[in-house]
Amino acid sequence: MRRVAVIGVGVTKFGRHDRSSGELFAEAAVEALADAELEPSAIQALYYGNVVGGETEKQLHCGPQAASILGITGVPTTRFETACASSHAAFRHAVMEVGAGISDIVMVGGGERVLNVPTEDSTEYFAYASDAIWEQPLGLTFPGVFALVARAHMHKHGTTEEQMAAVAVKNHRHGTLNPKAQFRKEITLEQVMTSAKVADPLKLYDCCPFSDGGAAVILASEDVARSRKRAVWVLGSSAASDWMLIGDKPDLSRVLATERAAAAAYRQAGLGPQDVDVVELHDCFTIAEIVATEGLGLFEPGMGGVAAEKGWTSLGGKVPVNPSGGLKAKGHPIGATGAAQVAEIVTQLRGEAGPRQVGGAKTGLVHTLGGNTATVVVSVLGRE
Amino acid sequence: MTLKSFFEGARDGRLTAVRCTACGGLAIPPKEFCPACGKRGWQAAPLSGSGTIASYTVIRVAPRKFAPEAPYALAQVRLAEGVSILGRIVDVPLDRLAIGLAVKFHPLVRGDQTGIAFGPA
Repeated sequence: MRRVAVIGVGVTKFGRHDRSSGELFAEAAVEALADAELEPSAIQALYYGNVVGGETEKQLHCGPQAASILGITGVPTTRFETACASSHAAFRHAVMEVGAGISDIVMVGGGERVLNVPTEDSTEYFAYASDAIWEQPLGLTFPGVFALVARAHMHKHGTTEEQMAAVAVKNHRHGTLNPKAQFRKEITLEQVMTSAKVADPLKLYDCCPFSDGGAAVILASEDVARSRKRAVWVLGSSAASDWMLIGDKPDLSRVLATERAAAAAYRQAGLGPQDVDVVELHDCFTIAEIVATEGLGLFEPGMGGVAAEKGWTSLGGKVPVNPSGGLKAKGHPIGATGAAQVAEIVTQLRGEAGPRQVGGAKTGLVHTLGGNTATVVVSVLGRE
Repeated sequence: MTLKSFFEGARDGRLTAVRCTACGGLAIPPKEFCPACGKRGWQAAPLSGSGTIASYTVIRVAPRKFAPEAPYALAQVRLAEGVSILGRIVDVPLDRLAIGLAVKFHPLVRGDQTGIAFGPA
């Protein structure tokens, strides 16, 4: 494999938009092209993430649509759907295309629009990422999946609802430092604890919001990237799966796909969790951040909740997690999330993150989880 | 065993797994290849329907078509034979739900649809 670098990033503000997912992607793509100082004609392929476009926008075939809106045609375009990990899965495949020597400059992006439909409908569409025969007919929801994880984690490790709430408080605090975050307001532990119940023990403020948004990153081969001072190198990018059905997962307090993908990504990078300076991980629910910090090896099993409570994952802590505000505060336009997480880590490693900068960050990790914990993609990035 | 025959049995109160004829491993629902040994030979294995709650939640914000039923309980149930399955928990007060609680299979019949559910043991 050739070495691969990220040479441009762009994200829209996340939140409510009166524009299509394709337009939102295009805004981010324009920003990424400007950041990379490239003309659109330089793009040799588009890897695109979108999840519920078929439901919320009656739109399939989003790859060539996104390229057309951007104003490029002729290049191969592929839409990836791995639930919430879609554009990070797209990223991994684009890394392989550039690494394999097939293309020199490739764009990865994603766009999602869901706030144009009522919450009952978006809740249903997101649940399509669980099994249509065995789980959806029971009324399983996306918060329901992580509520089952939370109960199992609480039972096994003594994790508390207050520890979960500490994740929300921390990520909202980080979000105040990110001008593109959906929520830029601090919240208190009490607000989280007294918010409306969604799926016990998860409450409203344990859940990330529904969001519209777009993100894009540009990958380049070593030959193209070598002379660029702001290039950030892809040191490892790996994906793993777990059983689709909740019933088949042997221990709901763990996300095995995270553990598998992380082990492979660390191996590719020749690094371990002790080398990671900054992390963007998939906090679709507060418990998801706790379990991910354990699965990525940042903390021992059962210590993820303690780490959040003690501030070890806050900006200024041992391993800052989700300086962008995470999905919780930055927002979660599902098809765009993975690319946006990569964009944040690239920004951090360039030292361009302003008030949310993790000082001296040299190695960063991106973790994105799909739906019912059955897909995870992990990438390790570094600067020279 | 087909999906159709599984759900027909379930409708009559019978919960059925498949047992690998090579290694004896159980699967519910059925799979083509045995995850334990990789072989492809199965026979139907009726289950007792008895199990315990391994994890649970109460869904309060539901998808549109389930909203009139909310709040409702869902659980990963560890069956006596060692395999697990997701099901609704019915006829158990929500404040009595607990990990380890003994439950018994109870088909959830809605028109021509049959779902997996568990009631009090």
